[in-house]
Amino acid sequence: MDASKVDLFIMTNGKFFESHQLPIIRERLLELDDSKWNTVQILQFKDPTTSLIVSLLGGSLGIDRFIIGDTGKGIGKLLTCGGFGIWAIIDWFMIQGATREKNILKFQEALAY
Amino acid sequence: MISGRIKFYSLLLSAFGAGYSWLIYNLWYQTGNEHSSFTVCFIKNTTNIPCPSCGSTRSVLSILQRDFISALYFNPLGYLIFAALLIFPVWILFDLFLEKNTFWDFYHKMEIRLKKPYVAIPLLVLLLINWIWNIYKGI
Repeated sequence: MDASKVDLFIMTNGKFFESHQLPIIRERLLELDDSKWNTVQILQFKDPTTSLIVSLLGGSLGIDRFIIGDTGKGIGKLLTCGGFGIWAIIDWFMIQGATREKNILKFQEALAY
Repeated sequence: MISGRIKFYSLLLSAFGAGYSWLIYNLWYQTGNEHSSFTVCFIKNTTNIPCPSCGSTRSVLSILQRDFISALYFNPLGYLIFAALLIFPVWILFDLFLEKNTFWDFYHKMEIRLKKPYVAIPLLVLLLINWIWNIYKGI
């Protein structure tokens, strides 16, 4: 794929991934065929900042985990009052990383086809 | 993939360990039929409004004392937690010792199934009803 298109993608979507993943994403996109550009461009990623806000407000109910697609862990948090309140606090710091992990999984799944 | 499974299993096992310690602590400090009023619930401590799963400790303790009706009164979710506490640790240990993936596969299948709107919405409504009932009871 064209380097300028790849850079455009990195610029617009860089904040959705961990910084150490960006070189890998760049490599991956450069190898791709140009016909995949549309698929890559329309991908919707979850914003880590949004999940942090949700985690601060509704973390005890597990809403943050539900939003990023971790339904099982969301139920776990919901049934235990946010993991006795401890897990809810841990997730204030973990949820942004977890969101970025989910985003890279989504990116890899989209390119797998 | 395998290391992810081991990490997930150890996380769950420590969560169940914490659950059991919490139960033992509550059994220890329980005098007669009175339950301790100490709560770790973040929502209840800050807003004084019970959360959807408040009362589930008392519910599980009531099940242990074979008082099934007050268990239902305290929080119906207690039955779910009791079942999870009984089944899942055994299942996970079974998986770990026999080096199988049965629980891991089950978890991912359930996650996909629970995300379907016709499953998620009724469950959410039930949970909301339970929450409203919880606030009404003042658990």
